[in-house]
Order: sequence, then structure tokens, then C-alpha cells
Amino acid sequence: MSFTINATINDKKVSASTEASTSLLEFLRDTLEMKGTKLCCNTGECGACTIIFNGKPINSCVTLAADADGATITTIEGLADGANLHAVQQAFIDTGAVQCGYCTPGYIMSVAALLDRTAKPTAEDIEEAVSGNICRCTGYAKIVDAIHLAADRLSGRA
Amino acid sequence: MEYFAPKSIAEALSLLERYGGEAKVIAGGTDVMVDIKYKEEPGCLINIKAIGGLAGIKENNGGVRIGPLTTIRDLETSALIRDKLPVLWEAAHQFASLQIRNTATIGGNICRASPSGETLTPLLVLEASGNIAFSDKETAEPFINFFSGPGKTTLGAKGLLTAIDVPYPAAESRGVYLKHAVRGAMDIAMVGVAVLITPDAAKKAVRDVRIGLGAVAPTPIRAAKAEASLRGKPLTPALLKQAAELAASEASPIDDQRSSAEYRRWIVEALTRRGLAQSWKAATGKEAV
Repeated sequence: MSFTINATINDKKVSASTEASTSLLEFLRDTLEMKGTKLCCNTGECGACTIIFNGKPINSCVTLAADADGATITTIEGLADGANLHAVQQAFIDTGAVQCGYCTPGYIMSVAALLDRTAKPTAEDIEEAVSGNICRCTGYAKIVDAIHLAADRLSGRA
Repeated sequence: MEYFAPKSIAEALSLLERYGGEAKVIAGGTDVMVDIKYKEEPGCLINIKAIGGLAGIKENNGGVRIGPLTTIRDLETSALIRDKLPVLWEAAHQFASLQIRNTATIGGNICRASPSGETLTPLLVLEASGNIAFSDKETAEPFINFFSGPGKTTLGAKGLLTAIDVPYPAAESRGVYLKHAVRGAMDIAMVGVAVLITPDAAKKAVRDVRIGLGAVAPTPIRAAKAEASLRGKPLTPALLKQAAELAASEASPIDDQRSSAEYRRWIVEALTRRGLAQSWKAATGKEAV
């Protein structure tokens, strides 16, 4: 059973057809060909598919595509302003918080949502914000450094 | 797979009446989507998120009425829940990850009826009830009678949970929700224990106590014998130890990939002892002596 989804994705109006059993992640990757959001565990446990949905970070793999009808969504493709990377993207590069890179889009979306909520996140805020994201390469220390750097840059402290 | 997004409770109930066992109700989707991807698609998916009025937290007759579509994050960020129902708040706070809390609903957590469901033992010790609707009747069902096995509830194939009523516990009561898991976030509890204790006016004896155990029986349970062993008595370390042992004996855990049954019993004992001691101290300002 297919139907049409009308959503605002990365500030653009999008209209496309989907099936009832399609996840929002599949809709983004396979229907809209937006491959930045990653498929990994497909059970809502690893955070690689994190997007910002109506202002909140969610796992797109365990969300129905149907629920995107009328929603406002930001994906990793929507963060940079032309050639200028978002502060979180730049901070991940500058601190070496990326190794294999597969978890990175999910992390960056979780952190972008965190810094939208809180300009000066505490260590506890940071831990909460990314506790649903798994990275198997970095050991997390560089990621936490990147989050602090992004927060400082966004609030003019660095 | 057929798909419906009813706009009213009546419409959802008539769909459930028509499709019954073939139908699956979906709210947040954090469990149902995994079933669709890894198990099997139901014949019919009924998405209840478009039904108005099923989300929200309101004070109601000496308690709180929670809409089943209220997300776990909405519970966690509610000052009312944190202030008046801290045991439930604690469970919401320890629930999965932020991404999941932003999507998963309390109604979904309840109707999923997983023995380890994070909000279930708090709801049992708070003596909460559900408003259950069928196409021909509506009843208020205490959650202690609601769960009949893993994934099974009195909703059967045709009922819908339309509200969750949580009465306020006694003002002098204090409680905790303790979860034992390997990883802080995302992990399913090996054991979850909720405790709510009310001292008498002199703060000497236990006036009332409720102990809920999760992930150690086919449904979340109350440790009735442990509770009875404490009521009306001064809380001494010996009594506390005995009550924790009774709670462990009331559990009927299984061996699985998360832990052995034996280990779970040990954890029930430890968490019950710890939960009682912490709650007693919070309620009376004193250690159990």
C-alpha cells in the first residue's frame, strides 16, 4: 500500500511516494537518494541514522516514513551552509574525531541538536546527548573534545 | 500490509474489531518497526498517532492522567512528573537513549508488556491503572491485573489503552527505581526494582511499602510476601535483609543472553535491599536500625 509523503527536508519541500512498511531511514536513503544518513543496526540502538525531526534527534530507522508527512527534518546534508561547514562538522575535523566515519553523521546530528538546546553543555549534557550513539573506532575522547570545541566556537568562546 | 491512520478512538476500535489478531497498533514505533524489519509484517498496521488528545500530562483527581502517546522524553522533562512521581521520572530518565525517548511512548512501553519494560514496575508500585477501550465497552484496569505474559495484556487483539491514571502516593512516601544493566544507556534491564515506602507518623515503623520487580518473571510483578513482611514493623537491618531475600524468592527469572536466573535473583536481593534502605532514609532522614 503506497501513499505520498509531503515533508520539509533541509529547508526544501519534498513530495514522494512510499510504502506503509518503509522506515524513514529507507525513505531518505532509497527513495530520496540521500545517503548521508547511515544504516547500521536498524534496531534503534547505535544512533548512526540520527536525524533531527521536528527539532528533536531521533533514530530514523525505527520511525515510520509515514510519520514524516508534514514534518520538518534536518539531515546531515542540510547542516553546511554552501561551502561553509557547520561548526560541529568543522570541530569533528579539527579534533580528529572521525576515524572510519560511519557513525559520524549520526554523532554530528545528535551534537547539533544538543547545541541547539544548550549553548553551554555540561559534561552530563554531552554524555546524555550522545549516549545513544556508538563509535567503535575513536574511544570517544576525541568526540567529546570536538563537542566542547563546537560549543565554544558557537558561543564565541573560541 | 494494509495501513490505516485513524483520526479517532472510535475509528481505531472499529479497525481493531475488523482486523483483530492480524492488526498491529503502532505509536512511536521503536519496537514495532524492529518487528517489521526483523520478524514479520503484520497483515495490517494501525498508526494511532493521528488521534487527537492522546498525548499530554494533566493533574486529575488527586493524581496525574497521562495520555498513552506521551513520549518518554515528555515524561522526563515534565516538572509535574519529576516533582510528584519521582519513581516514574527515574525510569523515564534511565530509558534507552535520548533518540528513543524522543519517539517511544509510555503507552507503547505498557502495551508492549515486556517484563523488563522500564515504566512498568514504577506504575505497579504507584498502583496506576489504564483506561481500556473496546468497541462495546470501556473499563479502568489496574496495571497489576493488566499483564498476562510477555507481550500479552488484557487488551487482547481488540482493545486500546486510552489513558494512564497514576494516583499520587502519600506525601510522606519516598521511592526509587533501580535498574541493573551493563551499559548505562540503551541496555535492557537485567533486573529493575521499584520501591515506594511510607513511614508511620513517628517515622519508626513501615506504614506501607510496595516493591515492584521487573525482568525477573513473565510479567512485571509486585513482591507481595516481601511487602507483607515489612508492613507495620520498624525497619531493622535484619528485617530489611529478610524482605530482600523474600523478594528474590518471589522472582522467577530465566537464563538468557543478558544474565543467568541465579544472577538475577542475587541482583533482585541486592537492589531490593538497597532500594528499601535508600527510600527509608529519604522518607525518615534515618538509616534502618
